[in-house]
Amino acid sequence: MATPHASLKLQESLWYKDAVIYQVHVRTFYDSNGDGIGDFRGLAQKLDYLQELGINAIWLMPFFPSPLRDDGYDIADYFSVHPSYGNLEDFKLFLDAAHQRGIRVIIEMVLNHTSDQHPWFQESRSSRTNPKRDWYVWSETDDRYRDTRIIFVDTEMSNWAWDPISKEYYWHRFFSHQPDLNYDNPVVREQMWGVMKFWLEMGVDGFRLDAVPYLLEREGTNCENLPETHDVLKEIRARLDKEYPGRVLLAEANQWPADLRPYFGNGDEFHMAFHFPLMPRMFMGLKLEDRKPITEILQQTPAIPENCQWSLFLRNHDELTLEMVTDMERDYMYDEYAKDKSMRINLGIRRRLAPLLDNDRRRIELMNGMLMSMPGTPIIYYGDEIGMGDNVNLGDRNGVRTPMQWDGGWNGGFSAADPESLYSPLMLNPVYGFQALNVQSQKRFDHSLLSWMKRIIRVRKSAPVFGRGTIEFLYPANHRVLAYVRQLGKETVLVVNNLSSAAQAVELDLKRFKGNILIEMFGKNIFPRIGDLPYLLTMGPYQFYWFRLRKI
Amino acid sequence: MPEGSILTDDFLRELMNVGEVDILVGVPTFNDGKTVGQVVQAVRAGLLKYFPRQRTVIINVDGGSRDGTQEIVRAASISDLRHVSNVNTLRTLHSISTRYEGGTSPGSALHTVFAAADLLRAGNCAIVSPDSTSLEPEWIERLLRPVVRDNVDLVTPIYRRHKFDGLLVSNLVYPMTRALYCKRVREPHPSEFAFSGRLAAHFLEQDLWEQEACQMGAETCLTLSAINGGFRLAQSFLGSRARPEQAPSDLIRALRQTVGVLFWSLEANVPSCSAATESEAVPTIGAEHEVTLEPLRINRKRLHQMFVHGVAELEPILRSILSEGTLAELRQIATVPEDDFRYSDELWVRSVYEFAASYHKAVISRDHIVQALAPLYRGKAYTFLGQNRDASANQVEANVEQLCLTFERAKPYLLEMWNGRK
Repeated sequence: MATPHASLKLQESLWYKDAVIYQVHVRTFYDSNGDGIGDFRGLAQKLDYLQELGINAIWLMPFFPSPLRDDGYDIADYFSVHPSYGNLEDFKLFLDAAHQRGIRVIIEMVLNHTSDQHPWFQESRSSRTNPKRDWYVWSETDDRYRDTRIIFVDTEMSNWAWDPISKEYYWHRFFSHQPDLNYDNPVVREQMWGVMKFWLEMGVDGFRLDAVPYLLEREGTNCENLPETHDVLKEIRARLDKEYPGRVLLAEANQWPADLRPYFGNGDEFHMAFHFPLMPRMFMGLKLEDRKPITEILQQTPAIPENCQWSLFLRNHDELTLEMVTDMERDYMYDEYAKDKSMRINLGIRRRLAPLLDNDRRRIELMNGMLMSMPGTPIIYYGDEIGMGDNVNLGDRNGVRTPMQWDGGWNGGFSAADPESLYSPLMLNPVYGFQALNVQSQKRFDHSLLSWMKRIIRVRKSAPVFGRGTIEFLYPANHRVLAYVRQLGKETVLVVNNLSSAAQAVELDLKRFKGNILIEMFGKNIFPRIGDLPYLLTMGPYQFYWFRLRKI
Repeated sequence: MPEGSILTDDFLRELMNVGEVDILVGVPTFNDGKTVGQVVQAVRAGLLKYFPRQRTVIINVDGGSRDGTQEIVRAASISDLRHVSNVNTLRTLHSISTRYEGGTSPGSALHTVFAAADLLRAGNCAIVSPDSTSLEPEWIERLLRPVVRDNVDLVTPIYRRHKFDGLLVSNLVYPMTRALYCKRVREPHPSEFAFSGRLAAHFLEQDLWEQEACQMGAETCLTLSAINGGFRLAQSFLGSRARPEQAPSDLIRALRQTVGVLFWSLEANVPSCSAATESEAVPTIGAEHEVTLEPLRINRKRLHQMFVHGVAELEPILRSILSEGTLAELRQIATVPEDDFRYSDELWVRSVYEFAASYHKAVISRDHIVQALAPLYRGKAYTFLGQNRDASANQVEANVEQLCLTFERAKPYLLEMWNGRK
């Protein structure tokens, strides 16, 4: 049975709906032993910071032994911790410390593939008759599943790779050094459940399951979102609910909303799934100063079961993916957010939040305001709470994975090692460099971005309506204003966002709330009572309001 | 309507919701329900295809239609409330409508559009006619692109016309504008045109809107204002412009909108006109197309009759307008049998210039002067039709050019008349 979370106050089974999640890679956060690489003991030391920030869940990126050719998404051993980050004992210490602070921990789990260095694959490729041969997908030819797209278009020419040892092709949806596991094999399914069980027994609160649409392959299909894949996922969920109730599954499925919907099943598959198409449209709406991209994608977003939740994010460890936009929209996004071609990778933009928004505090706040008030669970990418920058000169997506900037001292307070031995160079430029931008300096001021982030997280957590309520868009005639009403039981919150760089006047049709007064949720100030006429608001550039409606 | 404003509060509210735009397309209407839908759809398609990233608005200014014109225009909006299937857009496209005071006066309509453009800080604007059923999305690109991309201030159209279409333009408005203002603008009174926010603001600032001439022929006023203000001009080949079905041919109205404005404009501009000498070509964009030559039935006989009757019936008026010599020559050619009738370029230009000078001196009611030009124009049109009956496209063009040169050469005569020494 699962380890009881005695120290956790949040026992309620739908805790993930009220959560504010912090995404971090252990390598990037804090180096406790001076080897230049962040580790679990270091992460544990910084839990007070995260508790103070107000987040109540951490999503950890892969920390397993790995050749690290894809930032740990190429796992070579599912039952251990990469030695650079510590060991299992260190992880357990961190996990317990997090739980003691009321912070849950979701870990990354890569089900779809392993590293080609994983012993399973080494055995599988050793001969065509090896017992583990059918743990992976092998073929004599490379013309099977031809309708399947290539995801890493910049680096891969085919989804098949030739294995010179066993003289057959193996299937890989991502890099060629990441062979896909064969989920048609029940032994593989059982083995992977065993992996999950190992970590659940350790006490983790859930998994972010990577690349779930690609688990199975069928000829004549695009090998994505197959019914058989859903069967595998449902089986995992059923075992999770039965043996570890209260733990969650978060889907990484970069798909259109209609294709994503099946991943929730009837509330019996994933608890949460990332809303990938919404994110680029938030950036698009902001740049266009037009709510249309945002409202349209949310109109196309199907309802999900009561016990399910969208995961919302502005930025993460990957590129700002533009797979789920039209060609016209992608061109627009590239031109507006990645004029410099070095900022582009695959079908996306490898930049952090602050640089994407020209380091404009008003826009950063507005985007976070929308993130925190739309229906879903917000995820904050480490460093974005202080407005960290990126380094496009680093390869792949490493430019958004630089060390956390704690202070203006040695290595930005990240590590005592020689700067040359850090896993990644620190940001040094005058705008985003650690001497100008760090946690310590932002802690000093109430008006810093960090202080503001603490406030908005606190306000968000004070109103369950944000995590659990319904949403209704208001569609004021002023298309630069995005307004919606969130409702949960008797609690009603009105959110009004000005997407424009100019001041705007907007008239809101709030007749059905006639008689209510508006209470602005940050300053607690009272606004005029709603009457028969359209409710007139004037808003500064990129301003947003959260109003609690009260009938007194 | 609030006192002192040409914008209603409702319209102002709509403008407030639209906010700043990059491109504004105005569509003045009055009972154009049969055609405006097609036009607005083409405008919308043009904006979406060629300017998908720009903030755009279509503004209909209506003179009081009772045929649903305004509702048809509003239906062209694309927003998150009014999604159009099969139309993929980045942003909201507003299509709004308002009524303007002043009946069907084109000046009032354009004044409203210009005021809206100013308030919305529209840097690039266009006007399209609600009856241009041949308007294609590409027209929007051809009109607006020079403004958007090349900082041109006024883009006037060049249509693919039949050689006998637009006779008033080719025989009078174009040659006279060219001679007086030294810019070869083929359509000084355009139905479709584009202009910059700079020109709109400049034009708006001039206190012209209350002037009768501007009310009647605001388009011509704008062209002349652009020329005189030293703004950058360009012309764009658009394509064939379909004539509206059963469109009434109101020559007097057309004369007021064009020639009347030209005459009126001279009041303020004679000094600059005097200084200018040779005309300059205006940059022309797009693929040139020749005039079309297919046979066309025109009642020439009637034109000749109207000239003869006009010269006879209006003789007292013409005597006060024209010099003795010119009037005598007109009387003489009026006696020539139809088959031999010819109203020469020289006589035509002299007649027109004497009309302009008389307009200046206001020898009689100025409107009567403009109206009195109608029979003479018919005589010239008759001659032009005969002269070019079998002409090729190049020959027609050469004949128009000849007439233009005659207008240019005779310009000192106008100035002499104007200054009253003759």
